[in-house]
Amino acid sequence: MSGPLQNVIAWLDDRTGVRAIVHEALYERVPGGARWRYVWGSTLVVAFATQAITGVFLWMAYSPSTQTAWESVYYIHHEMAGGWLLRGIHHFMAHAMVVLLAIHLLQVVIDGAYRAPRELNFVLGLVLMLIVLGLSLTGYLLPWDQKGYWATKVSTELASQAPIAGPTLKNLAIGGTEYGHHTLTRFFALHAGVLPALLVLVLVLHVALFRRHGLHPRDPHHAPDAMFWPDQLLKDSVAALAVLAVVLALTIYYGGAELTAPADSANPYAAARPETYFLFLFQFLKWFPGELEVWGAIVIPTIALALLFLMPWIGRSRGGHLFNVALLFCLLGGAALLTAQALNDDYLAKWTDRTEENAAAYDASAAFLAAKREAAHEAERVIDLAQSPAKIPAAGALTLMHDDPYLQGPKLFVQHCASCHNYLDREHPDATANIVSAAPTAPNLFGVGSRKWLTGLLDPEQVATVHYFGYRGSPFVGDGENTDMVDFVQEAASYEDDEEMDADAKWQVQAAFEKIAAALSAEAQLPEQVEIDRRDQEMIAAGQALMEGGLAEVVSNGMSCTDCHSFGEMQDIGSPVLDGYMSRQWLMDFIRNPADERFYGEKNDRMPAFAPHDDRRLNQLDEKSLSLIVDWLRGDWYRPNNASTSD
Amino acid sequence: MADSASPQDTDTAAADDRRRFFAVVTSILAGALATLTPLAAGVATFCSPLFRKHKHHQVRIALLSQVPDDGLPRYFPVSVDRQDAWNRYPRQRVGAVYLIRQSGVAEPIALTAKCPHAGCFIGYTPGGDGFKCPCHTSEFKLDGARVHGDAEVAPRDMDRLPVELRQISGADGASAIEVWVEYIDFQTGHREQIRTA
Repeated sequence: MSGPLQNVIAWLDDRTGVRAIVHEALYERVPGGARWRYVWGSTLVVAFATQAITGVFLWMAYSPSTQTAWESVYYIHHEMAGGWLLRGIHHFMAHAMVVLLAIHLLQVVIDGAYRAPRELNFVLGLVLMLIVLGLSLTGYLLPWDQKGYWATKVSTELASQAPIAGPTLKNLAIGGTEYGHHTLTRFFALHAGVLPALLVLVLVLHVALFRRHGLHPRDPHHAPDAMFWPDQLLKDSVAALAVLAVVLALTIYYGGAELTAPADSANPYAAARPETYFLFLFQFLKWFPGELEVWGAIVIPTIALALLFLMPWIGRSRGGHLFNVALLFCLLGGAALLTAQALNDDYLAKWTDRTEENAAAYDASAAFLAAKREAAHEAERVIDLAQSPAKIPAAGALTLMHDDPYLQGPKLFVQHCASCHNYLDREHPDATANIVSAAPTAPNLFGVGSRKWLTGLLDPEQVATVHYFGYRGSPFVGDGENTDMVDFVQEAASYEDDEEMDADAKWQVQAAFEKIAAALSAEAQLPEQVEIDRRDQEMIAAGQALMEGGLAEVVSNGMSCTDCHSFGEMQDIGSPVLDGYMSRQWLMDFIRNPADERFYGEKNDRMPAFAPHDDRRLNQLDEKSLSLIVDWLRGDWYRPNNASTSD
Repeated sequence: MADSASPQDTDTAAADDRRRFFAVVTSILAGALATLTPLAAGVATFCSPLFRKHKHHQVRIALLSQVPDDGLPRYFPVSVDRQDAWNRYPRQRVGAVYLIRQSGVAEPIALTAKCPHAGCFIGYTPGGDGFKCPCHTSEFKLDGARVHGDAEVAPRDMDRLPVELRQISGADGASAIEVWVEYIDFQTGHREQIRTA
């Protein structure tokens, strides 16, 4: 076997001189023997190789445009085999690279390895560091999710504050005055093309110069000299494997890299933070009020960087060298402190209680944590939607979010309804979906139209509570102008003269109201009640008969629903029509104009008409918002099979 | 060789020098043209955003009836027809404003939600007594002024946008007053308001 192989190698060597190249690459002398402390440069090379490999495969599935960036990253992460792992390795290796860079830099400076003749190689190393940071910055935006979008928006906004050329630079970087397609195409070209090419070029020079000068031995007499191959390479490989193990552990622990909801320029992301290793810069800015910001954002970082570049010349004297070491410790230590401070500011509310002294800081932290929770909730939802049989429409995942009653309903409710109505699940008063004000002036709309909601409405104990008609200033109770309904429900089972009849009637009325609740609720055709509506057809028919007059024989005052309301046939009597009660159309029409003769007519004392006009410009609510609110109230939204979002 | 050079040789040498000079100049020029022409084309295309002018939009924000005169901020998304390279998005949300109307005053003021510090989205919790920026903790009073004045991280107060009220009436005879705002984007980080290009 070895014969032909040897022949091929000999042939190749004759034409290319490959043997000498390999020999030179492998047989580098390591003065003082192979040591673990020399592995950091090599781990960085392996880390970059990892990024190049994973990056190319990500590239094969990534599509940079505002309608496809998030979507393609979602697809990589959630649909493609092993995609989450690929993306996770790329993400966490980027973090590892920054840490390795810091270690490598620290070691070179402490060892004084930047002294003549190695000054230029030190400079090249710093250039490599800047390129790596540039790769991080550009990569953060590419998923086009809320986190990357808002964080990068802040960083480009800061760059635009650079003197003179700032606004022009920003304009060129994001491809216009606003974020859009060309922001992505530019960042992607930088991230996958320009910066890696530069990095390879500078890396080749860096390694070539390193070989030219030889390894800078910490202690040449530590041990007998050894060769790069295999002694040092063994240690390098083991170290590279260890780095990969840490990256894999992080990837698996976190289930891959985070993907928040698709970027939405109109949906503020209050928890926008830069990548962890830029947090110190973010925190640093809090120290600079007003126009001094440019000092924190640009001037001081630039001076620090300039000092780093001058280190080989500053370090020519022993004092200069000590200055360099002290400076680097200050910079790295300062960055570490600032990072810790930034994390503490944000997560404070997790491990402390609110006191008077920390009130402002605590509230800011609580707001950050709430925004993070909200973003995670939105991300989970939009991923559920993307995984639904309908998939993502061509217009992109953002439309999934904008058209989803489950996500938009609560926001619109807060904006238009919550100043009067509550949305409170009384069985889960702590649920995050609840929207509650202390003193509502209209009914609680949680579960509106459902059997449970209607059973409560027809319950003498509940009808006059704050959840139905007993809200502040209600015309339905006490001295109100419109007390008929509440009086009817409360008095339906009271025969004041006869206690025995009373007990019997109570039971009968209760049974009748139960059937009416079922019948009335069936009018709503709620998606959540499809099955029980079908199951209880007999009960519903009985309820309908009661509503149309039968009830009069059961209750004490001899009235049924149709004495006031219209049901089955259209009447004009100033109480809400019960045909299709709380159905989609009924509720839409009701919100459009509650003072319409089909609803409260002139008796409507407080609810605004949100869209009474044919001319849309005159209406407070547009059709889409209206339908989103109604669909949300009726629980009419897509539910994934595992029903994780049904709270 | 030079000392024994005949006039004829000198001529040849001079001719050689000239030829060499032209060769050098031509190769540099030709090489530069060959590489710089595509580069120039690339740079020109790359710089095309600089030649586009940014428009500020007049935007209908809400009906005046949606802004009660209680001095509390109301949040409204700003939707404009937006063009992003090859796409045109009708009525896309591009930002948000807070409208605030004081008691008895006809016209609300409009504050953009973009923080003058670094462009984050300034938040307002209904019922709260001020605005807060979630990024670098700037705080603003309900009229948009900085709570801590010049000691605040933000270099200026929240940006006010010009407001215009427009009377409209529909075919059914109903009428209403619309609140329109000139949605101007200002550069961040400066004491003065500077419009983005």
